[in-house]
Amino acid sequence: MQIVKQLMAIPGVIAAGEYAYRGDRFSYEGALTDEFARMASILCRANTLSVNMQSEIFDSFAENCGCRPVQGWIVRGARVTVCTIGNYFAFIENRDELLNDVMTIMRAKVGDIQDDLLVSLYARLGGDTKEALY
Amino acid sequence: MDLQKMMDLPGALAAFTYTDKGDLQSHMLREGTELTPQVLDLLTRSCVANQAIAGMEARGWEALTGQSGFQPLKGFSVVGLEWSVVVNGNAGVVVRNRDADYEATFNALQAA
Repeated sequence: MQIVKQLMAIPGVIAAGEYAYRGDRFSYEGALTDEFARMASILCRANTLSVNMQSEIFDSFAENCGCRPVQGWIVRGARVTVCTIGNYFAFIENRDELLNDVMTIMRAKVGDIQDDLLVSLYARLGGDTKEALY
Repeated sequence: MDLQKMMDLPGALAAFTYTDKGDLQSHMLREGTELTPQVLDLLTRSCVANQAIAGMEARGWEALTGQSGFQPLKGFSVVGLEWSVVVNGNAGVVVRNRDADYEATFNALQAA
């Protein structure tokens, strides 16, 4: 939760949280209800799974092209932006330089996401999650 | 869309446009990059899919929570290990992560 607290200390960060890759737990701070934070965690996990699947496909066409493993994603809304790095997410206002600052802090604090992320994401699906996914 | 202008963004490795279906229309690649037109062609299809999914989520989120500020969407980005792809509408830019200025890139795509 240290990263979440650091993010919440930045003016313009509406809410921030952490979700389990397995999809069964989450924690958060900021302007969300428990139910909204649960929904946000499910949404973030689903999108992370989706973009990781896409990067596996890119990588099968151009090995080591620099996209894999995916570190996160950003949805830029009209006034609010959602950014996710690893299993951390942040809802932020669209203020000058805030997105760059938040991304820099999240990348630095969360660190590089490793290849075992997909194994964790698929952990609830059963089967041999360590075998190649394509 | 001025692809050369997009290539002037910090860390730009590639700039491209695509159709509503995700077909790659035009592109520019920085010399020496690992990216290929084939990867860009796949990338543009994922861009269309990701923007559609994000649009659905934004619409659903606003309807369910009563919160506003998500719609209309101004773009989507996937952050890879070494580069990020930033897209909005029918255009996108691939930027090297260590040099990326996400705000400037989103703003440039919106203005384009």
